[in-house]
Amino acid sequence: MNRRQMLRALGLGALVAPRFSFGQGQTPPKRVVFFVQPHGHVPSSWKMAIPNGPTTTFASRSLSTVTQAELSLVLQPLFPFRNKVLAVEGLAHTAVLEDIAYLHRNGGDANNHNVAVADLLTGNRAAQHPGFPCTGGAISIDQVLAQRTVGPGRFGSRVYGGDYVPNQVVAPFSFLGASQPTPVVKSPQAAFTDLLGAQPAPDVRSAKLERARLSVLDSVAEEYRAVAQRLGREGRQKLESHSALVRDLEVSLASQLSQPQCLPSLDASGHVTRQFMRLIRMAFACDLTRVMTFAAPVPPCSDFGYPAAHDVHATYAHSSVDGATSCGQAYTPVSERAMSDLSVWYGQHLAFLLAELDAVPEGDGTLLDHTVVVWLSELGTPTHRHHDAFTVLIGSGSGFFETGRYVRYPVLHDNPVSGDVNEWPRIGPAHNKLFVSLLQAMGQSDTAFGTTEATSRTGERISLTGPLTELHR
Amino acid sequence: MVGSTPSDVRVVTVMTLVGLVAGCRQREPVTSLPGPSSPTVTSQGPGPAPLRRLTKHQYENTLRDLFDLDVTEHLPDEPVVGGFEGAAEAQLPSELFVSRAQRSAQRYAEALVSDPGRLKRVLQCDEWTKASSQARCVDGFLETTARRLYRRPLTDDEKARLKAELTRWTAEIDFVGAVQLALEELLLAPAFLYRPEPGPTLDGDQLATRLSFLLWDSGPDEALLERARSGALTTRADVRAEATRLLADPRARRTMWSFHRQWLGLERLMLDEHAVRTPAVDPQWTAATQQAAQEETRRFVEGVMAEEGTLGALLLSRRAWLDADTARLYGATVGDTMLDATQRAGVLTRVAFLASTAHRGATSPPIRGNAINLKLLCRMPTPPPAGIDTTPPTRPAGEKRTTRELFEERTRPTACAGCHHALNGLGFGFEHYDAAGQWRATEDGLPIDAKGETPALEGSFDGALELSSRLASSREVQVCATTMWARYALGRAPVPVEDAWLNASAERFVQSGGDVKALLLDLVSSPSFLALPGEPP
Repeated sequence: MNRRQMLRALGLGALVAPRFSFGQGQTPPKRVVFFVQPHGHVPSSWKMAIPNGPTTTFASRSLSTVTQAELSLVLQPLFPFRNKVLAVEGLAHTAVLEDIAYLHRNGGDANNHNVAVADLLTGNRAAQHPGFPCTGGAISIDQVLAQRTVGPGRFGSRVYGGDYVPNQVVAPFSFLGASQPTPVVKSPQAAFTDLLGAQPAPDVRSAKLERARLSVLDSVAEEYRAVAQRLGREGRQKLESHSALVRDLEVSLASQLSQPQCLPSLDASGHVTRQFMRLIRMAFACDLTRVMTFAAPVPPCSDFGYPAAHDVHATYAHSSVDGATSCGQAYTPVSERAMSDLSVWYGQHLAFLLAELDAVPEGDGTLLDHTVVVWLSELGTPTHRHHDAFTVLIGSGSGFFETGRYVRYPVLHDNPVSGDVNEWPRIGPAHNKLFVSLLQAMGQSDTAFGTTEATSRTGERISLTGPLTELHR
Repeated sequence: MVGSTPSDVRVVTVMTLVGLVAGCRQREPVTSLPGPSSPTVTSQGPGPAPLRRLTKHQYENTLRDLFDLDVTEHLPDEPVVGGFEGAAEAQLPSELFVSRAQRSAQRYAEALVSDPGRLKRVLQCDEWTKASSQARCVDGFLETTARRLYRRPLTDDEKARLKAELTRWTAEIDFVGAVQLALEELLLAPAFLYRPEPGPTLDGDQLATRLSFLLWDSGPDEALLERARSGALTTRADVRAEATRLLADPRARRTMWSFHRQWLGLERLMLDEHAVRTPAVDPQWTAATQQAAQEETRRFVEGVMAEEGTLGALLLSRRAWLDADTARLYGATVGDTMLDATQRAGVLTRVAFLASTAHRGATSPPIRGNAINLKLLCRMPTPPPAGIDTTPPTRPAGEKRTTRELFEERTRPTACAGCHHALNGLGFGFEHYDAAGQWRATEDGLPIDAKGETPALEGSFDGALELSSRLASSREVQVCATTMWARYALGRAPVPVEDAWLNASAERFVQSGGDVKALLLDLVSSPSFLALPGEPP
C-alpha cells in the first residue's frame, strides 16, 4: 500500500495491518527532533544545584530520585520523563561569539538575534548581505542529519513552526546551505498532506494515472539532468540537485507504509504547536522521516497568562535577568517571572511531544528511547548572552547518551567577545561539540561540525571540535 | 561625471554598498561562474547571470495569465535573502519545493483537462475523441501550450519525447489522461520552473523572459514572444520600446506591488503580531483590519505607480482607495478619495507602514526610524552594545509622559545616544500616528512633539509630512531606490563591474525626479540585463 492508497484507506475508515515490526530482528532507527525556541531562558528558572558537585570540573547529578518540586521550574514539565532527560548546563554558543567578535572587527550585521538565529544550528559564521539582515552561512545540523538519514521512500527532514520575528526580521533556523533557508511549513494540514501526498480518487482510471505519474517523474528527472549539463557550475548544481530530489519523490510516491505503529491521521484540535507535535510522532512512527525541526513561535502573552497588550520581546525579555546591565531601565521581577512562565509554556508543549513519542512501543522500548529530542534556544538568556546556554536532551538515541542526569560543565575559556566582562565572562565548551556527539549518536563518524576554532579576547585559541564524551554512555 | 563632486552623497552610497558586497565573507561565490558558458567578466561588461527559478508569485501569475486559473496547492513560501524574494543565491531546491511543485502540477493539470473549454484552449482543437483528430491536437498542444509554458519553441527531441509519451499514455489510459500527464510534465520541467540561459549569448526568448518576469512578475505574452522570434527585440531601442509597452499594461501593477511591499517591508503588516491592537489603541482592530490595511496600501502603491509613477508621488500623494475599515482609521470617506492634507502624505503615513512598525499597544520611534534608515536611506544600523536593555520604557504610575519623552530618557546614556540620535530623530517624526496608524493630536492629554532631525537629512523637520517631503527630494533616497531596484531586477547584489552603469542610472533617476518607469527602462537596457557575462555589449 503506498502513501496515497493509505490515505484513501483511512478515508474509508480502514486501519493498516502491520507487515513487520522493528522489534522482530530489525533495529529501530534513530531519530532526532530539534525543538528550537526563541529568547533563551532566565538562568535562575532552569538551573539546578548539584550538591557537593565540583565547580572546576564536570559535575553530574542523577534525576532518577528527584521529586517534581526538586526539579527547576522550567524542567518540571519533563518530570514524567526524568529518566530520559539529560540537562546540560554550561555550554556556550561559541560559534556565535566567534562570529560576533569577527563582525565587530570587520563590520556587518552583528545584531544579537539575527546572528544567533543564523548561527545556532549551523555552528558557523552567518552569511552577510550588506545593508540587509544576515542569514545562515552554512548547512545546519538538522539538514546534515537529513542528508545522512534520507532513504528510499523516506524524506530527509521536515521543518515546522511559526514566524519568529526578533528585531523586525523574520528568521528561520534551518539552512540547506549558505543563504539558503530551508522552507518552513506553518500549517499542520499542509504538513500532513506533504507527508502523505494528495488523495487520489478511488477508481481504476485514477489508479492508472497514478502509476503513469511515476514515468512522468522519471522523464522530468532526466530532463533536469540533461539541462544541468549545459549550464555553469552554479546552475548545474541546482538542477542536478533538483533532479535527485525528483528521483527521491518518485520512489517516495511508490513506497510502502508498513510500520506497525503507523496510523496516519491528522488531529487538528488544540494548539497548533500540539498539532505539529502529533505530526512528528506520526512521521516517525511511519518512518516517513527521521529528522524533524520545530521552530517554536513566540506566543501572544495571553497564551501563558500575561496581558494580551504586552509583547514578549518588547515588554519582558530584556528586563528579565537580575544583574544584567541595562540602558535606562533595570531588571524587574515581573519580567523574570514572565520569561520563566514562557519557558514553562514551551516545556509543556515539549512534554506533550515526549508523551506522544513515549506512547509508541517499538523494539524493546518506545519511540522516544530511539530518539534524541534536542531542546535549544538561540540565546543563552533573554538579555542576549550567548554563553551559559540552556541545553536539554530527552531520549538517549538508543542508549548513546547517558540520560537521567543534570550535568554541569565548568568554564574553560575567555570569551571571544570583548565588552563588559561581568556580562561576558569566561565560557564553557562549545555547543558545536554537542552536535558532534549528536552526529556520533546517529552512527556518523564526524569529529567536527561548523566553526572549528575561535580566539578568545585574551588570544587563547579555543577548539570547537570533538564530541562531549561526558554525555555519552 | 559622477563622483566628481565631493558633496555627492549618492555616489558614496552606491560605492559603499558595492564595496561591501565584495568585501563580505562569501562562501562559494556565485559571482564567478567557471565553466564553458562563463567566460571571464570584463571590467565594463555584464555582471553574473546565476540561474533563477520562478518565485511562488511568478509561478501563480504565469499560470493565471495563461489559463485564467488558480489552484489551492501552494509552493512553499519564498525565502527572503538580501531583502528580496527570488534571490538566485537562495534558490537551491528543497525536498519540500519539489514535492509541492508536483502536487501543484497535478492540480493544475487536472483542472485544465476536466473543463472542456479549457481543454480546447490547451489543445488548440475542438475534437479529440477520434484517434484521427488527436494527432492534430497534439501538434496544437506542442506548438502553443507547451511553447508558452517553455517560453520558447520546443526542440525536435523534446517534441518527439512528448509525442511518444502521449501515444503510450493514450494506449494505457486515454487521450485526455495522456494530455493531463503531459501537462504535469511540462509544469515540472526545468524550462518552465527555471529560467535557464546556457549561453554563450542571451537569445531573444530569454531576453523576453527576463523582461516579462521583471516588469509583469509573470511569463511573456504571445506578442512579446513573437517580437523575440521575429528579431524585433535586438537593439537597445527595441528593448526599451517593448518594455514601455509592458509597463503600460495592467500586469505591471504586480511588479510595482511586489517590489515596494518587499523594499519598504509593507508585507510585515501580515505577521501574526499585527493581527492584534490593544483596545486602548483601537478597539475595532481585527485580523480583517490588518488585511484591509494591507490591501489599501497595495491599491495605493499600484495606483500611484500607474498614474504618476514617481518616487515622489509614492512618498507624497494623498490619493487613497479606501474601504470601510481603512476609511474609519483615516477618518475619511470610502472610495477613491484624497486624505487630509494636514495629516497624510504618501506611503509612510499609511496604516500598513505605521502599524507594522509599532507594537500591539504602543508606537516605537526607533523601529520606525530604523525602517526609514534601512529601507529608504540604505543605512544599516549599528547594533546596540552587548547587554544593552532595549525594552521600550513603561510609564511609571501616576506620571504622565509622552512616548517621545520616555524614549528620550531611555536612550540618553552616551552608549545609546550615538545611534539612537539617528533612529529616534527619524522616528519621532511619526509620533502623530498611533500604533494603529490613526492620527492623534495629543497623547494621553499631552501635546505631541513630532520634531526630528537626523544626520542623513540636512536640518531638522517637524512631522512626517515634512520628513516625507525631505525624503522625496533626497538624492540619497533616490540612489538607495536605484540599488534596491537593481537588486530586485538582477536577483542578486550588484557587483563592482556594474558600478559604471549603476551610477549612471542613479544619476539619471535623480535627474528625472524619481521617475520609476524611466529607471526600469534604464535597467532593462543595461549591459547586465541585455547580455550574459563575457558577451560583447
